[in-house]
Amino acid sequence: MSITINTTINGKTVSASAEASTSLLEFLRDTLEFKGTKLCCNTGECGACTVIYNGKPINSCVTLAADANGAEITTIEGLADGDKLHPVQQAFIDTGAVQCGYCTPGYIMSVKALLDRTKKPTQSDIEEAVSGNICRCTGYAKIVDAIQLAAQKL
Amino acid sequence: MDYFEPKTVSEALSLLAKHGAEAKVIAGGTDVMVDIKYKEEPGCLINIKKIPGLGAIQENGASLRIGTLITIRELETNKLVREKLAVLWEASHQFASLQIRNTATIGGNICRASPSGETLTPLLVLDAKAKIAFSDGEKTEPFASFFQGPGKCSVGSKGLLTEIDVPYPAAGSKSVYLKHAVRGAMDIAMVGVAVLITPDAAKNSLQDVRIGLGAVAPTPLRASKTEALLRGKPLTVALLKEAAAMAASESSPISDQRSSAEYRSWIVEALTRRGLEQTWKAATGKEVA
Repeated sequence: MSITINTTINGKTVSASAEASTSLLEFLRDTLEFKGTKLCCNTGECGACTVIYNGKPINSCVTLAADANGAEITTIEGLADGDKLHPVQQAFIDTGAVQCGYCTPGYIMSVKALLDRTKKPTQSDIEEAVSGNICRCTGYAKIVDAIQLAAQKL
Repeated sequence: MDYFEPKTVSEALSLLAKHGAEAKVIAGGTDVMVDIKYKEEPGCLINIKKIPGLGAIQENGASLRIGTLITIRELETNKLVREKLAVLWEASHQFASLQIRNTATIGGNICRASPSGETLTPLLVLDAKAKIAFSDGEKTEPFASFFQGPGKCSVGSKGLLTEIDVPYPAAGSKSVYLKHAVRGAMDIAMVGVAVLITPDAAKNSLQDVRIGLGAVAPTPLRASKTEALLRGKPLTVALLKEAAAMAASESSPISDQRSSAEYRSWIVEALTRRGLEQTWKAATGKEVA
């Protein structure tokens, strides 16, 4: 059964149809072509598909696309202002917090949500914010550096 | 797959009556979506998130009424939960990841009826009750008799869990939720133990003791023999040792990819001992002697 989903993505209203069983991740990537949000574990365990849903970071792979109806969603594509990267994106580059890069969009969305809710995150705020994101390359130290740098810049 | 977004509880119940075992109720979706992808797509999905009135936390005298759609993050950040239901707060705080806590609901965690469900042993030791709507009326059932096996509970295929009623523990009570897992976040508990104790007025003995064991039997359970052994007595080193061993004997764990049954038994013993020690000290200001 196909359903119509009316939602707001990165500030723009969008209307599209999808099968009722579609996940928000599939809807974003395959229907709307927002390929920045990554498919990885597809079971809600790795955080690569993190988007901001009504102000909160969630795993889009285990969210029903139908729940996007009437919601406001921010994806990685919604952060940069033209060619100017968002301070969180720039901080990941400046600290070398990106290696293979596959987990990076998910991390950046988790960090964006963290810095939206607290301007001066403590170490434990940072750990909590990204505890649902897995990176198999960096060893995490540089990611924490990036978060601290982004917090200073914002 | 058919898909419905009922706007009332009675509409949801009619859909459940009509579609029967083919229907699956979805709220947060963190478990159901994984089943849809990797197990089986249900014939019909009933999304209850649009039903008003199921997403509030309200104080009702000496208890808290928690709507089934309350997310784990909403539990974790609720002042009353933190102050009055510390053991439930601790379990919410240790639940999966922030992303999952923002989506997963308490009703979903309960109806999933997983032996390792994080909120279940806290609800058991808090003597909480489930409010379940059926087409022929509403039923209130204590969690002590609610769970029937992995994935099976009193809600069945025709009912809808609407609210959880959690009485506040007696004044002076102390509680703790201890989870044994390899990874801090996202990991399913190998063993989860919830302990709640109430000392007598003189703080010399255990007036009430409640111990909940998770992930070590087909359902989360209360270690009732261990509780009976402890009730009315001062907590001594010898009694603590006996109680911890008894709690392990009341569990019936399985071996799986997370750990062996034998290891789980040891952990039940260790966490029961630790939980009793910690709560005794917090409630009486004394070491176990």
